Amino acid sequence: MKLPSLLRNMPRFNFKFRLPGMAVRVVALLLLLGISGYAYYLDATIREAFEGRKFALPARVYGRALEVYPGMKLTREQFVSELKAIGYHENPQPREPATYKLTLTGIEFNTRDFVFGDGLQTAQPLRMDFADGKVSQLQLRGTPDVDQPLVRMEPPLIGGIYPGHNEDRDLVRLNQVPKTLIDTLIATEDRKFYTHWGIDPRGIARALFKTLTGQRIEGGSTLTQQLVKNFFLTSERTLSRKGTEVLMSLLLEMHYSKDEILETYLNEIFLGQDASRAIHGFGLASHFYFDRPLDKLELQEIALLVGMVKGPTVYDPRKHPELALKRRNVVLEEMLGQNVITQAQFTAARQKPLGVVQRAPAGTSPYPAFMQYVHRQLQHDYREEDLRSEGLRIFTTLDPFVQQEAEHALSIRLAALEKARRNATSLEGAVVVSSTQTGEIQAMVGGRDARYAGYNRALDTQRPIGSLAKPIVYLTALEDPQHYTLATPLDDSPLVWKQRGAPDWKPQNYEKQFHDKVQLRTALAHSYNVATARLGIGLGVDRILDKLPLFGIERKPPPFASSLLGAYGLAPIEVAQMYQTFADGGFRTPLRAIRTVVDASGKALQRYPLNVEPVAAPAPVYLLTAAMQGVVREGTAVAMSNWLPPEINVAGKTGTTDDLRDSWFAGFTGDRVAVVWVGRDDNKPTGLTGASGAMTVWGEMMKGIQPEPLEPAMPEDVELVNVDPASGVRYDEGCKAGIMLPFIKGSAPTEVSPCADAVVAAPVPAPADDKGKAKPEAKPEAKPEAQPAPEKKNWFQRLFN
Amino acid sequence: MKNRYGLIVAAWLLLLGGCAGVKAPPAAPSVVTPGGATTPEASPQPGAEPAPPAQLEPVPTSAKSSNRAIVALLERAEGDSRAGQHEAAGALLERALRIEPRNPWLWHQLAQARLAQGQYAQAITLARKSNSFAAKQRRVQAENWQLIGNARVAQGDTAGAEQAFRQSADLVQQEKDAAGFSFFR
Repeated sequence: MKLPSLLRNMPRFNFKFRLPGMAVRVVALLLLLGISGYAYYLDATIREAFEGRKFALPARVYGRALEVYPGMKLTREQFVSELKAIGYHENPQPREPATYKLTLTGIEFNTRDFVFGDGLQTAQPLRMDFADGKVSQLQLRGTPDVDQPLVRMEPPLIGGIYPGHNEDRDLVRLNQVPKTLIDTLIATEDRKFYTHWGIDPRGIARALFKTLTGQRIEGGSTLTQQLVKNFFLTSERTLSRKGTEVLMSLLLEMHYSKDEILETYLNEIFLGQDASRAIHGFGLASHFYFDRPLDKLELQEIALLVGMVKGPTVYDPRKHPELALKRRNVVLEEMLGQNVITQAQFTAARQKPLGVVQRAPAGTSPYPAFMQYVHRQLQHDYREEDLRSEGLRIFTTLDPFVQQEAEHALSIRLAALEKARRNATSLEGAVVVSSTQTGEIQAMVGGRDARYAGYNRALDTQRPIGSLAKPIVYLTALEDPQHYTLATPLDDSPLVWKQRGAPDWKPQNYEKQFHDKVQLRTALAHSYNVATARLGIGLGVDRILDKLPLFGIERKPPPFASSLLGAYGLAPIEVAQMYQTFADGGFRTPLRAIRTVVDASGKALQRYPLNVEPVAAPAPVYLLTAAMQGVVREGTAVAMSNWLPPEINVAGKTGTTDDLRDSWFAGFTGDRVAVVWVGRDDNKPTGLTGASGAMTVWGEMMKGIQPEPLEPAMPEDVELVNVDPASGVRYDEGCKAGIMLPFIKGSAPTEVSPCADAVVAAPVPAPADDKGKAKPEAKPEAKPEAQPAPEKKNWFQRLFN
Repeated sequence: MKNRYGLIVAAWLLLLGGCAGVKAPPAAPSVVTPGGATTPEASPQPGAEPAPPAQLEPVPTSAKSSNRAIVALLERAEGDSRAGQHEAAGALLERALRIEPRNPWLWHQLAQARLAQGQYAQAITLARKSNSFAAKQRRVQAENWQLIGNARVAQGDTAGAEQAFRQSADLVQQEKDAAGFSFFR
């Protein structure tokens, strides 16, 4: 035992101090104290480094786990791309976990063990068949095969939150490391590792001699010294540094066992660089270079990794394959020389190619905008150092499929817009997509270059929202059914508004015309500014703006009437929260990007559960939704039909700001809410309206996502009433000239007018684009007769004259 | 001689090491776990409590969705709830809701879990949300109103609870009438 024998030596240290003269003694004492102080400082430093680094594990961030069940809309191609994203390999005999094989009508695959927020899910051999774009069968392979109701796949790794210096690692325990690797490491780097005290005196002497004689400074470092060096990453090579390193190595050896030092070394040593991410430790290096866990490596692969210790940049097998191969074979020779491997193994291993996978598994996130959002949410609840070092596993809501559609739509539409319009250049954009009923963020694009981890426009750009603010005005009106219904005529004649603290305000319509009387639903559909402003002023500017916090808008807009028309800036994510609440029937579900946080041992630390808050009564929200469906069916967003079929029944709103600087579209389908902003970073005009810019991105994206139709359930206090589309007067139920409009019970006109059937072909036609006003209400039988298209012209003529 | 000095230096270093060793190594990861989400609300006021209406005959889980994946998740959630694992039940229900976000039974079951966790206001909201998807489904509406009544009892809102229970009873009666009608048809 080293310890007791050393302790016995202590008294001798005191008594054998026989020096002549007081002065000498004092000097010696002072010197000793000084060195002691320095050593004490070094000791504290090295121990802190050791303890700190020993546990520094980055947080791993996962996307949503794909859940597959029979009947689900999913093609085999989509499923295979998911499998590839989670690291599955094709194999003609899929027996190992994470392998798959295509069959005649489907796929056979083996899942792997995975620890979810709710515990371990064990590996399973499965079979899936597909037909008509759907999963037709899901079975557990065996004798016999057993039908399964559901399989939850492992989630894709979408990024990490790394310790300082962007170090990434996969922690391995000593007993998980193949003995061959340890033997090889010791054979090549430090043969006396198990017997020395942290330093190899002969090695140091050799290094010292060469340094003093002006030759090249060379290694001779033990594993312990290398570890110390790795803790304090500087390339400085001086004698005093070497001295410090030696002292620290001795101190380290005194505090920790050989096994602890070796284990830390195996996890700490620098083995490569992936963009800004530093690859530390053999565990991660094994995945980084071979895409396999450490215990699945072959001899020559182990030799390559050990060989790279000497110089991960010089021997980078992807950049310098010849040098790496040479170095690997040198290590193989050492292995043979030290009897780590046999001659036969040596001969076989030497023949093998490097075997490095070309593309490294994702480390730096391909979804920087979403990652930034996740990181910010986590910072509310966790200390930054814990996020970077505790090995947390974070399960998020990102759906790579939706994300891909969002990125793709933004990039191709912006390119097309720039090509089509000379004055539209340097366009930028942002997209946020969430699920309607659960508020989970499925995609976030922070700019045109979705891979660029910089300015995140989805979160950090605040632009005037323009007409996106209008639905709040209309909702406030519809909450008062005694005075306002969808058919209530609004005044769209010229308006001058005087308000203290602000110049006179004379709102204009986009097309610089006034429309006298327009129905409330029509004013929203065509986004008439004057009618909306007058409506909002009548209801009370404060009353409307004070509502915003209920819809998740914390920012307070200026208390002026112009705020009714969206003369205040919001980030796309804030708009998404507002529209989420409209889409969800007046229930506000805070947008979430994180489902669960699990610690390194697999214990769930925190769930971010679904929370719902009722902020608006269902009936007025239902009417508002019907009016916003009118925006898409017959209003400013009518061109949506270029992307989505009418049966999707999208509800949405376009937004255009002064001089065409900002182009917005916010809308929802049965299952998704999405917001798109298009504009320029320098805030110059783009020449785009909400409909010609952002809406085209929205449509393109949704076309790819294939959304569910919007069919909101009709609240019990709402009824459908047959009215004249132009005047809003009530007709008999059977009258075919009318359209079905939803009214809050008791608010529909009571007096029944004679049916205008007789005059259908004459002056006051029912507009074609008003057909199916009642369609969203899941009451197809109430759908009125379609009107021939030519009459549409009359309707518009009426409106715009 | 050389060996002895080595030992002396070693002893000195050891001594320093010992001195320096006052600071304990960090223990278990100290991750801050924020609260808030599961804070139970004020306990109920003692006093005359309205009695909930007669227990409803349970609806078989298999009748709550035509999708076997949903039924499987619901069954597990119900099992977790019976075992008092409301958090786990909630997680399973959220998985089911991602697949069928408009199934009123799932929202009802989630309301149950929140009620059991003492989150009364949240339970009431979720039950209302369930009702918003339950047009014409009197049975699940009745259960939602009963749940709202129970939550109000717990909140000390006696009058509100009575009203909710009455609503529930009415819906049950309506359903019975409808069932009787179809029975005699």
